[in-house]
Amino acid sequence: MIQIQGLSKEYGKKQKALDSITQDLDNGIISIIGKNGAGKTTLLRILSTQLKATSGDALIDGLSITGNIRQIRERIVSIPQEAAPIGILTAYEQVFMYLTGKGFSFHSARQESIRALKSVGLSDKMHVPTDELSGGMKRKMFVAMALGSNADTVFLDEPTTGLDPLSRMETWSAIKELTGNVVLTTHYMEEATELSEKIYMMDSGRFIGSGTADQLLYDLKDKVRVESLESMPGSYHVGNMYIKYVNRDDLSKYENVYYSLKKISIEDLFIIRGVDLES
Amino acid sequence: MNLKFILTMAWYYGVKTIVRGPSYLIASLATPLTLLFLVFVLSHGALVKFAIVGGLIAFVGSVGLSGAGDSAFFRLQLRIQDLYVPSKVSPFDYMAAFTMSYLVFSVPGIVLYIYLGSVYHLFTAYDSLVMVLIMVLLIISTTSISFIISGSIKHLRNIWGITGILTIITSILPPTFYPYSYVPRVFLYIIALSPTTPAAVLAQGAFGLSPQLNIMLYVLIIETAVYAILARILVRWREN
Repeated sequence: MIQIQGLSKEYGKKQKALDSITQDLDNGIISIIGKNGAGKTTLLRILSTQLKATSGDALIDGLSITGNIRQIRERIVSIPQEAAPIGILTAYEQVFMYLTGKGFSFHSARQESIRALKSVGLSDKMHVPTDELSGGMKRKMFVAMALGSNADTVFLDEPTTGLDPLSRMETWSAIKELTGNVVLTTHYMEEATELSEKIYMMDSGRFIGSGTADQLLYDLKDKVRVESLESMPGSYHVGNMYIKYVNRDDLSKYENVYYSLKKISIEDLFIIRGVDLES
Repeated sequence: MNLKFILTMAWYYGVKTIVRGPSYLIASLATPLTLLFLVFVLSHGALVKFAIVGGLIAFVGSVGLSGAGDSAFFRLQLRIQDLYVPSKVSPFDYMAAFTMSYLVFSVPGIVLYIYLGSVYHLFTAYDSLVMVLIMVLLIISTTSISFIISGSIKHLRNIWGITGILTIITSILPPTFYPYSYVPRVFLYIIALSPTTPAAVLAQGAFGLSPQLNIMLYVLIIETAVYAILARILVRWREN
């Protein structure tokens, strides 16, 4: 359980990355979703003791990120956004090195590295320099570090950003192997739905909602998304497009204007909460 | 101190990289060996012993300084430093691991210079022991400088230029390839800010090439400690 207590982060006097957040994050695999600049990475870096907060505190399994830094660092793993391997070294070497950094003996590090790399499907590539691996394989190597370390809590910052669909699916299956609590940030709504039991939404340095995908979408459950290039009363203006959420029964009213229909997804919550309503 | 991590990184990033990327080692040796050749030709062999001793110092110093590129690349591009912050690796362990890697990486070059030194009957067992101490202090101080630089930059592109300039300044300007007595004493103390200067002065004294100037031992020890402390502060382990 992570308890965030009035956490703020300011860069200079004007830029607030986190705005006095107070929020409990559940155990299990949870996702924090939000647009770019919502404060997801800042929050994760503070929780994983890489960045100091301006004010406030957070407890990870009862340990304070301001007062129990050493104990927290021993219990967590944090895979940074866009982390990349040292290309000249193999996946095995890097996982082994990481585990020695986590305090494992040489013998245990060797055993756990092999076990973890096998678990994420890299058994036949573990002794190949990582320069020669695909993007998905590289990400899976980092997940193997988390897996091998048996951490209580794992922070994954946008673990599949920039990957092709197949590599993303490979990485997802590796993430599902993790046994401890997992906090991941993403702006892929599909990823949050696929991986996590609970989703937390962030915008402008604050949490703006939480729940399962079904709970978050409850108000939109009987609706569809109508997209048009023409303005519609009560629509949301996104780029050159107008979006409106309508009941299925009323769809016939929009036959003359709509050019596409879409199923509701978590992305729609951001459209509703993050975009100004057309007047 | 996480000795297991330090030794593992030294093995993987120091030894394995020699085998997998020998060009980096050859590139590190290219400038000192070229200068050795030039000094040999221009002085008709008279200053070749200085160039061997100086070349060894310039080589080890440049390997340590090249760590600025690596550590900046690890922090800004690969995000490896962030990966190790939440672990049992302290900033000191992290820097010591780099230092050890570079020391190990330097071994083939050091062996080459020892061979050259033996050809010119330069090294005795006692002198070599002094040289080992100097090399250890030199690699610690130059690696510390590399962390000071890499911790101070925000954009990776800047690091290559700064490292290049610093390597030239620390290799050519100090009396590495020529007798330190050529340099006015005041100027010698100014350029002693570069660890290669006290290292070269001490080495020239130890091998009987120039008079001994023992104060440089204190200079080297003190500045190694100061650079290491500054590096610890500027390594950006937990950012503000």
